[in-house]
Amino acid sequence: MNEFSLLLLAFIIYLLAMVTGFISLLRPVARMRKISYYLGLGGFVLHSLSLTMRTVQSGRAPFTTMYESVSFLAWSCVLAVIIFERKFRLEKTGPYLWLVVVALMALTSSPALPRDITPLVPALQSYWLWLHVSVTLLGEAFLAVAFVASLLYILTPEKKFSQPDHEARRQKLDQVAYRAVAIGFPLFTMGALVFGMIWASKAWGRYWGWDPKEVWSLITWLFYALYLHTRLVYGWKGKKSALIAVLGFLAALFTFFGVNYLLSGLHSYG
Amino acid sequence: MPSGAWKFLASVRLAIALLILIIILAIIGTLIPQEQSPDFYRKHLPGLSALILFLNLDHLYRSPLFLSPVFLFMLNLIFCSLQQFPAKFRRLRNRDKTIPDTGSNLLEPRDRNRLERWLEEDRLQLVTIFKKLRYRVRLVRTDDEKIFLARKGLPGLFGPELVHLGLIIIIAGGLISAIFSQRISIALMEGQAEKIPGKNFSLRLDSFTTEYYPDGSVKDWKSLVSVLENGQVRLQKTIEVNHPLKYDRLNFFQMSYGQDWDSAVLELEIRLPEGQVRTSSLKTGETISLEEGTRIRTLSFIPDFQLDSSGQAYSRSAEAVNPAALVEIVQGNHQVFLGWVFYRQPENNRFQRTSQSGLKVNLKSFTAPTFSVLEASSDPGANLVWVGSGLLLLGLLASFYLPYKEVRLGHRAGNPPWLLVYARKQGEAFRREVYNILGLKSKNT
Ligand code: HEM
Repeated sequence: MNEFSLLLLAFIIYLLAMVTGFISLLRPVARMRKISYYLGLGGFVLHSLSLTMRTVQSGRAPFTTMYESVSFLAWSCVLAVIIFERKFRLEKTGPYLWLVVVALMALTSSPALPRDITPLVPALQSYWLWLHVSVTLLGEAFLAVAFVASLLYILTPEKKFSQPDHEARRQKLDQVAYRAVAIGFPLFTMGALVFGMIWASKAWGRYWGWDPKEVWSLITWLFYALYLHTRLVYGWKGKKSALIAVLGFLAALFTFFGVNYLLSGLHSYG
Repeated sequence: MPSGAWKFLASVRLAIALLILIIILAIIGTLIPQEQSPDFYRKHLPGLSALILFLNLDHLYRSPLFLSPVFLFMLNLIFCSLQQFPAKFRRLRNRDKTIPDTGSNLLEPRDRNRLERWLEEDRLQLVTIFKKLRYRVRLVRTDDEKIFLARKGLPGLFGPELVHLGLIIIIAGGLISAIFSQRISIALMEGQAEKIPGKNFSLRLDSFTTEYYPDGSVKDWKSLVSVLENGQVRLQKTIEVNHPLKYDRLNFFQMSYGQDWDSAVLELEIRLPEGQVRTSSLKTGETISLEEGTRIRTLSFIPDFQLDSSGQAYSRSAEAVNPAALVEIVQGNHQVFLGWVFYRQPENNRFQRTSQSGLKVNLKSFTAPTFSVLEASSDPGANLVWVGSGLLLLGLLASFYLPYKEVRLGHRAGNPPWLLVYARKQGEAFRREVYNILGLKSKNT
């Protein structure tokens, strides 16, 4: 079985995990949630195998083309989902996160992203590539968790009569978002900004050059600094907080996709 | 300084306003192409060019419009830290006393009794409970006062301070880099040495090689260089992309390479009308004599031949994509051949004129000396940025993963006991947890 068939298989299993997840939301049966979780775990194992095979075949980091990066981002999201499910129980956020994973898998396996192994340009031949991209995407996966939880928070109407646990569930969304930022923010800071600066200083002789990709990473990061401070110091919670987390993740998405296609710069291999 | 100004500079309100402002400015800077000539903006953004040039949006990130909020942000961080730090330090130092700022003395009588017991007969159990929860525990008993202190996650208390200190250092390093960093670019031919301005050493390029992948794309550029001091080799090293040379506070990077086409050496094959074939090597601009009265000269060499709209030949790139040489052959005072000869298309004689049918010139091969372009940079701010980044990461780790928690319990003879529960984050949840552990009833204080 080749790397791509494994990826497709993982894709299908993630799809099933999503479907069972949504079913468990409609009819809160504990067994459905468990099935969804174990399906996700199984897909994760296959996906990891796929990434490993790709790495062995190409002999380099599995995130140097769009196809590889999107696949790795999806894999990181699955990892984040599994960790959060185990530690905090995602409840409502879970199936919607699977939706994000499924969307990423659809993108990566679509013919729009070429799957050839093309030679690495000299600037990408560095072990900082490994550290920089993997830690950044891992961080972004947790920020994706915060994004989904925050979006759900915003979209969940404030009061529904005769549902006493309704408010508790909204609180939970808010909590999940904060905890995800608490993991994603340090990872993103380390991967995108610090490792990025170190690598840039080795490859281009300057640690910061206001390249659009650099600036958009900074913008993303500043959004989360805003999120933390309005929350910690002003006690912002709920809607306003959630809105910042959503904007922050949109900025991260733009850094990932938009800058490559819409703005020009040194990072435009990608 | 008036206390109003101090308060303003230390306020989180200002921090939030500045964060929003910096985000907006940073976005604007990515939408408007940076560092172009004024004419570029007049041509491509005619409606906005006046505004762009007036506000310096063409070099936004080094303009006062951007740098002033960044500078203010750094002041904000400094004042904020100056304000936060002493209170936290007091909390750390103060082990045997009440901390004045917070407290909950509004306990119900039943809970007061419970606390008194915790400090008396149950005190060993209290210590054990908190030790098990991995707190550092301290119990002080004097004649008229008993104090219990349990805490953990000390680094977490100062996490934000470390983060902010790291940021102050990074911004300071960035400003120093912006003002003092220097870059010069040095093009060296193989064997050529050049003195580095402002330093007492020279750099010599010993060899330059390009490595290719099987499919022909570039894998790496390598410059083997020697550092020379007073004519002596101090050091030899290969500089490649991602592997700069560090020497005397300068970093040398492989930036690009090229070939000096003006010094190209061409091998020309000349077929004379009589059927003779002669091969000659000559440099661009050089004239050599073939036989009695016949001279051949190359007037120019173009690596990537193209004609512009007015019919002028020019080189589209610096790569040898479509090499061509302009060759002239003269017999006596008579020009018998003038035209472009192509390397890849020897039959192409569209751009040739000859008065002797059968006279043919063919460009058999060409070589040109390669030069490597290295960039030397000195950046006195970089080390500050690395130190700041280290503190920033440590601070984030402490802030988010080592949450500070503290429980203080005290009783002075003749007074009701007091209880202080403090966590830097999630304070309410922690208070409930401690009340549970201590078996207290009071839920809302
Ligand atoms: C981009 C810039 C900044 C970053 C990345 C940053 C980062 C942080 C982080 C990670 C925390 C801890 C958050 C948590 O534990 O949830 C924090 C707390 C805090 N920050 Fe910032 N900060 C920045 C700028 C500022 C500025 C300019 C101020 C000045 C007013 C400020 C004031 C505070 C305060 C008062 C706290 C709470 C301290 C505490 O809980 O003890 N921050 N900051």
